[in-house]
Amino acid sequence: MKYQSQKIAQYFYTFAVVLFLVQVLVGVIAAFQFIWPDFFILNFNTIRTLHINALVVWLLMGLMGATYYVVPEESQRELWSVPLALFQFWATVVTVTLVVLGYIWMGLDPQANKVVLGTQLLNEGREYIEAPRWADWLIALSVILFLVNNFMTMFKSKRWTGIQGTLLGGLTFLALMYLPGMAYTSSMVKDQFFWWWVIHLWVEGAWEIIAGALLAFMLMKVVGAKREVVEKWMYIEVGLVMFTGILGTGHHYYWIGTPEYWLWVGGVFSSLEPIPLLLMVWDAFRTTREHRVVTNKIGLFLATAHAIFNFVGAGLWGVIHTLPQVNKWTHGTQITTAHGHLAFYGAYVLLIVAMIYITMPLIRGVTEFKTSRGYRSFWWMTISMVFIVLTITGAGMVQVYMERLLGLDYVAVKGTYNLWFWIFRAIFGFGFLYGVWLLVLDFFKLGKEPVSAASPAVQEA
Amino acid sequence: MSNKGVRNLFIFGSVFFFLIFLGLSYDTIKQLDKRAPEITEEVNAGKMLWHKYDCIGCHTIFGNGSYFAPDLTKTTVNKPTDYLKKFLVNPRKVKKTAAMPVLGITAEEAEKIIVFLDWTSKVNTNDWPPKPVLASLVQPKAGGVAVYQKYGCSACHVIGGVGGTSGPDLTHAALRQPDPEWHKKHLIDPASVVPDSAMPPYPQMTEEELNQLADYLITLK
Repeated sequence: MKYQSQKIAQYFYTFAVVLFLVQVLVGVIAAFQFIWPDFFILNFNTIRTLHINALVVWLLMGLMGATYYVVPEESQRELWSVPLALFQFWATVVTVTLVVLGYIWMGLDPQANKVVLGTQLLNEGREYIEAPRWADWLIALSVILFLVNNFMTMFKSKRWTGIQGTLLGGLTFLALMYLPGMAYTSSMVKDQFFWWWVIHLWVEGAWEIIAGALLAFMLMKVVGAKREVVEKWMYIEVGLVMFTGILGTGHHYYWIGTPEYWLWVGGVFSSLEPIPLLLMVWDAFRTTREHRVVTNKIGLFLATAHAIFNFVGAGLWGVIHTLPQVNKWTHGTQITTAHGHLAFYGAYVLLIVAMIYITMPLIRGVTEFKTSRGYRSFWWMTISMVFIVLTITGAGMVQVYMERLLGLDYVAVKGTYNLWFWIFRAIFGFGFLYGVWLLVLDFFKLGKEPVSAASPAVQEA
Repeated sequence: MSNKGVRNLFIFGSVFFFLIFLGLSYDTIKQLDKRAPEITEEVNAGKMLWHKYDCIGCHTIFGNGSYFAPDLTKTTVNKPTDYLKKFLVNPRKVKKTAAMPVLGITAEEAEKIIVFLDWTSKVNTNDWPPKPVLASLVQPKAGGVAVYQKYGCSACHVIGGVGGTSGPDLTHAALRQPDPEWHKKHLIDPASVVPDSAMPPYPQMTEEELNQLADYLITLK
């Protein structure tokens, strides 16, 4: 670490990993509710709202932490304002806490979710963006303060690098795409049409741009790859993400009341979406092969794992049901759930975890650290997630066959024919929870434990 | 190609595709109102209630949502309105094993939600959800089975594993009620023999249809 202000990343990482644990804890509760709906004091809808909101918030916090680390280093100066960054952090924590308390209140008493000034006070009842309007404004303000701080750092230094430009470009795109989800429309079709601008253009647009920039940064950091080379490939990757992903939004416009031409637009462009993700995998392996000195083995390992599971989860598990001919039967089934789980895990969970393992040792000023718990955490999480995804995929295939092809009732298929898939999923859920527990533990102990002789050294790249 | 070249390709290429996307979106928005019925105040009130109770936290609509409970896009086509009303107010009174909790939805609120769901059922969704393949292979039957098919009884009832689970399973209906006269009374006015029944009455059935259906039901043992 070269600049004191890079330490601010720690605050964001800490909140991120703790929320990750909360996310997976409520995820396990949700898995039990598939078997036994009355399992918990809060109904499934509240538990799921907590599960997916915790996910989005902790990933955003992780991306913000990573950005606060990357931007000073790339700009070669201290962050523009550390107090502003601290204020932004605590303001976000307070807002998120209030929103969560609101969800729980609404879960215990649905009548408390009153309409105030045209929108619901506690929960807007829109998947992923359930946060009420007052919280939307506070979140938007937080993101603006975050962007201002980083852009000012860049302007002050007048040193523009491709990585930080792409990173901040992706983050600005992310902030802008939050806005289409903030307006109310009386048409459920238009509601979903603009809802997808937020959801799809985040995860298959802005976030992938950020992932491309961070992958380039990590490759420079752990194997000392040349900037010119990684930046060139980064531009090609994120360019292809945008060329395929923007019109790929069309694969969400097949069946929601939108015109038929989206069947063509969405089918063609979304089928190409795995290409840039495959390129990222090749990029990670090629760069590693060309450089013999690895300064942070577990960091490189996690960055490569992120690239691979981004391709498998977001790419392969998405493309199998993206053609309209297939999607007609699979849309709205557990196949989508399976894709969602592996895509988020590979593309973004492993990205943040890799960034943590690459930057935290440098923040704590250690050149060597114990990595055994980190690897154990990775294997517990990854093996469990792969099996969670396989069980949900199995459940989805049974559902498509019995409900969509044979015409059996949804409730019968879920309750009877898929029961064992739910039981296995819950068991693997515990495995994943254990992996996350190890990660949180290791996050707090990283660099503070005696190192065995076999551990690799970390040096400033 | 130089780094600056690929950077410009990324930036201007992205802008190019985003402009195409905006153009298509503009065209889509213009067409949407023609592809759906008019949105009345009641439809909007129902939609606001949809948000209030966070229905999407369990259900899907147009196939998007939480995959924990049935898709509601075409619910009003498949289920009788009276049944839906009773179910929304107190699901567990209508069906003991229902996974849906009692949320405190009032009778007036239930009516508005149904109006909203009736609106979604009429949106042109490019024929989604698709008709099950099996349904198109079923040959028209004669007698009581034909009456059973004509009135769509299988939307709510199961016989031998096939059908909906909103109402009781009829696979062994005759073991519970072997009397054809009971079945006829029940079909004309369910509440006259089963208090608080959520099943709608079928006064439109002809005497012949009633006899045929009752004769069929008493064979289910």
